[in-house]
Amino acid sequence: MKILCDRTQLQEAFGVVGSVVPAKTTKPILQNILLTAGDGSISLFATDLEMAAKVTIDAVKVHKPGSVLLPARECSALLRELSDPTVTLERIDQRCRLESGGGSFVLLGEDPEQFPEDTAIKSGKTVTIPSGRMLRMIQETAFAAAREDTRYAIHGVMFDMAAGCLRLVATDGRRLSLSYENVDSKTEFKAIVPLRALSTLGRAISDGSKEDLQIAVGDKQIEFRLGKVRLVCQLLDSRFPDYEGVVPKAADTTVELNRAMLESNLRKTAILCADDLRSVRFEVQDSLLRLMAENSTRGRADVTMDVTTKGAGGSINFNPDFILEALRVCDLDVVRLDMSDDSMPAKFTLGESFTYVVMPISGT
Amino acid sequence: MLATLLKMADSPRTILHADMDAFYAAIEQRDRPELRGKPVIIGGSGPRQVVATASYEARAFGVHSAMPGVRAKQLCPHGIFVRPRPQVYEAVSQAVQSVFARYTDRIEPLSLDEAFLDVTGCEPLFGDGAAIAAMIRRDVFAAVQLTVSVGVASCKFVAKVASDVRKPDGLVVVPPGQERAFLAPLPVSRLWGIGAKTEPLLQARSLRTIGDVQARSHEQLVCDFGEHLGAHLFVLANGLDARPVESEREAKTLGHELTFEQDLVTAEQAHQVLLQLSEQVGRRLRQQDRSARVVKLKLRHPDFTTLLRQRTIEATQDDLVLYRTAVDLLRACWRGRPGIRLLGVTAAGLGAAAAAKQGSLFAVRDMRAQKVLAAMDAIRDRHGEGAVRRGGPGQQSTPWGPGV
Repeated sequence: MKILCDRTQLQEAFGVVGSVVPAKTTKPILQNILLTAGDGSISLFATDLEMAAKVTIDAVKVHKPGSVLLPARECSALLRELSDPTVTLERIDQRCRLESGGGSFVLLGEDPEQFPEDTAIKSGKTVTIPSGRMLRMIQETAFAAAREDTRYAIHGVMFDMAAGCLRLVATDGRRLSLSYENVDSKTEFKAIVPLRALSTLGRAISDGSKEDLQIAVGDKQIEFRLGKVRLVCQLLDSRFPDYEGVVPKAADTTVELNRAMLESNLRKTAILCADDLRSVRFEVQDSLLRLMAENSTRGRADVTMDVTTKGAGGSINFNPDFILEALRVCDLDVVRLDMSDDSMPAKFTLGESFTYVVMPISGT
Repeated sequence: MLATLLKMADSPRTILHADMDAFYAAIEQRDRPELRGKPVIIGGSGPRQVVATASYEARAFGVHSAMPGVRAKQLCPHGIFVRPRPQVYEAVSQAVQSVFARYTDRIEPLSLDEAFLDVTGCEPLFGDGAAIAAMIRRDVFAAVQLTVSVGVASCKFVAKVASDVRKPDGLVVVPPGQERAFLAPLPVSRLWGIGAKTEPLLQARSLRTIGDVQARSHEQLVCDFGEHLGAHLFVLANGLDARPVESEREAKTLGHELTFEQDLVTAEQAHQVLLQLSEQVGRRLRQQDRSARVVKLKLRHPDFTTLLRQRTIEATQDDLVLYRTAVDLLRACWRGRPGIRLLGVTAAGLGAAAAAKQGSLFAVRDMRAQKVLAAMDAIRDRHGEGAVRRGGPGQQSTPWGPGV
C-alpha cells in the first residue's frame, strides 16, 4: 500500500476516528486505526467494540492499494506536528513509513487482518436532519446528562422520535434539558445514545452546516451518516424516566430577563455560595429580580436586576451551576423563567425549541 | 503513643460502665412473678438457636449467653425457655438510657443492656464517680425495678471489668492510681480481645494473671507478641486505655448486623434482612439528624470468612437508598454460595443532614417515600421496633433468631 494525501484532511479524519480509540483496553490492537486504500480513496476506521467510526477521504493519490494498521496516538501526534501540506504513507511488511517534508517516520503497526471488521446496521428506522441543527441539539442537551451514578441513564441522551418531531432529552434527575426539531418522517423510536458517540459525532460536524445527517436506529445500535463520515454505536440499555410529566405546564410567576445580564449577575452571586450545597435565591417582586447567596464563613452577595414580570412573584432557590451551564449554550437575548414554589420544577425557555427544567433547592 | 497515654494519667477521667443484671431474664422475672427464683433462659432450645440471656439461677448450672440452646438444655434440663420480647426490652432500655442522660450527655451504649458514661467534670453537680454511680443505680431501680451493676474507674476497660466483678447488683469503684493493683490478680482472659485463641499464647509464656503481664515491659511484650497484640496487652494490663467514650452523635459510623440461626442461602432471604437492617440504620440516622455518604456491607460465611464492601453515594438518610446500595454490594460479592452466617449494614461518612436539599424532578415517588418513613418512625417510637414492617416476601417465617 502506498498513498499520497493532503495532511490537513488526514489530520481532520484522524481527529474524528481517533476519538473512538480506547485509552485503556484489554485488546491493544484496538489502539490502532485501520487505513484502507482503494480506488482513488482511502478510509480510516477505528472501534472500541461498542462504537465504530469510519471516515473516507477522496482526494488521494493511491499508488498501490492495500491496508495498514497505524498506532492511533503516535500517528495523530505526528500529523499535528507536521507542517508540510502533503503526507506519503507506505506499507513495508508490517510497518508503515510516513514521509512529509524532510521527515521520515516508521510506525510499527499490527496485522490489519486481525482488526475487527466494520459492521453496518442492517435494518433501521431512519430520519434525516441538517447536521448543524443536530450539533446545536447535542450542545443544548448533553451537558445535563447524568455524570455520576444516579438512578437515571448515565452518560446518555435520549433520542425520542415521534409524530414528526425528533427530541433530544438529557437529565440527571435534578435538571432536564430538551431540544427538538420537526423532521419530515413518520418513523418512531426511542434510543439512549452514549455521550461519547455524540462527542465523536460533534467533531465531525462543522458549525451551522446544512449538510444532511442521516440517522438509522436498529434494535441495539444507532448509525449516523454524514457525508464521508459513518458512526455506529451500541445504544444504552438503561431506564429513562418519564420526562414529559416533569415539564411544567403552568406557573405562578413568569419572568423575562436579559440573558447576558442574568449570566453575569449569577456568576457574581455564585462566588459567595455555601460550600456544601451551592444555592442562589431568586426573589421576584414587581419588575425586579434579586439574586442572593450566603456563605457562613466568607460573606454574602445581593444583586438586583430589572426584569419583566407576570404573576404573583415569589422566591425560589437554585443551584447556580445548573443554570449557568444552560445559559452557556443559549444564544437568545431574552430568556424566560416560569416558576412556582420550591416543590415544583421551574422552566427556562432558552430557545425556540430549547427547554430546560430545573428542580429548586427546598427547605432553605 | 505512650507519651500521650502517660500524660492522660495527669488529668484522670471518671468513667462508668453500667451493665444491667441478666437484663432480658430479669425483665421476664419482673413481669411474670411465677418465674422468680427459677432458672430462666431467654432464647430457644432448638439445634441452631442461641441463648440470649440466662437468669442467675440458670447461670448456676453453667448456662451463659451465646451458648447453643441444645447445650443449655443439657446443662439445665429443668430450665424454663422463654421466647424473647425484643420490643419490651427495647422500651426498658430506653427508660434506662434516659436515667443515664440525667447525669451526662457523654453516653456510649454498647447494646440494649450496657453503656459507658463519661462523667468527668460532673462532680460539682452530682458528687464524685462513686456518688453518681450510686444515684444511677437508685434511679434505675426506681424507674424500671431492675438492678444494674456499675464499675467506676479512670478508663473504659477498667470500668468494664469493675462492673463485672461484683455482679449482680454490684458497685465497684477503682480510685485513680489503683488500676494496676485492681487488675493484677485477675486472669488474663479478662483482657479485651484475649479469647480461646490468644489465651494459650499468653499461658505458654507463663502469663496467667494480668499482674504477670504488668511485670513485663512494653518492649518485652512487643517482642513476644508483635507490635499489635503486644502494645494492646501493655495498654490494657496497665489500665492505660485512652479510648474516649463516644456518644452516638460523635460516632463515625452507625450500623446494625444480624447473625442467623440458619445460614441464608437465597437472595430473597438476604434482601429481606438487608431491608430490615437498612431500616434500622436509616431510622437512627433520622433520629440523629444525620446523613450517610458511605454504605458498608458486611458478609460472613459459615467458615467465618468475612467480606467487607462499601460504596460512596449521595448523602442520604433514606432506608431504601441504603437498602438498594446494600443489595448492589451484595450482588457484586455473593452468588448464593456459600451460605451467609452474618449480614451487616453500616452507614459511614456521616454528616449533618442538610436542612436545604436539592429537589428531584422525578420526586413524587421520593416525597411519598419520605412521608412513609416519617410515619413508620412515629409508629416505632410509640410501639417499638417490630411494630411496623415494609411489605415483602417471607415476613412471617424469618430464618434468624430474635434479638441475636
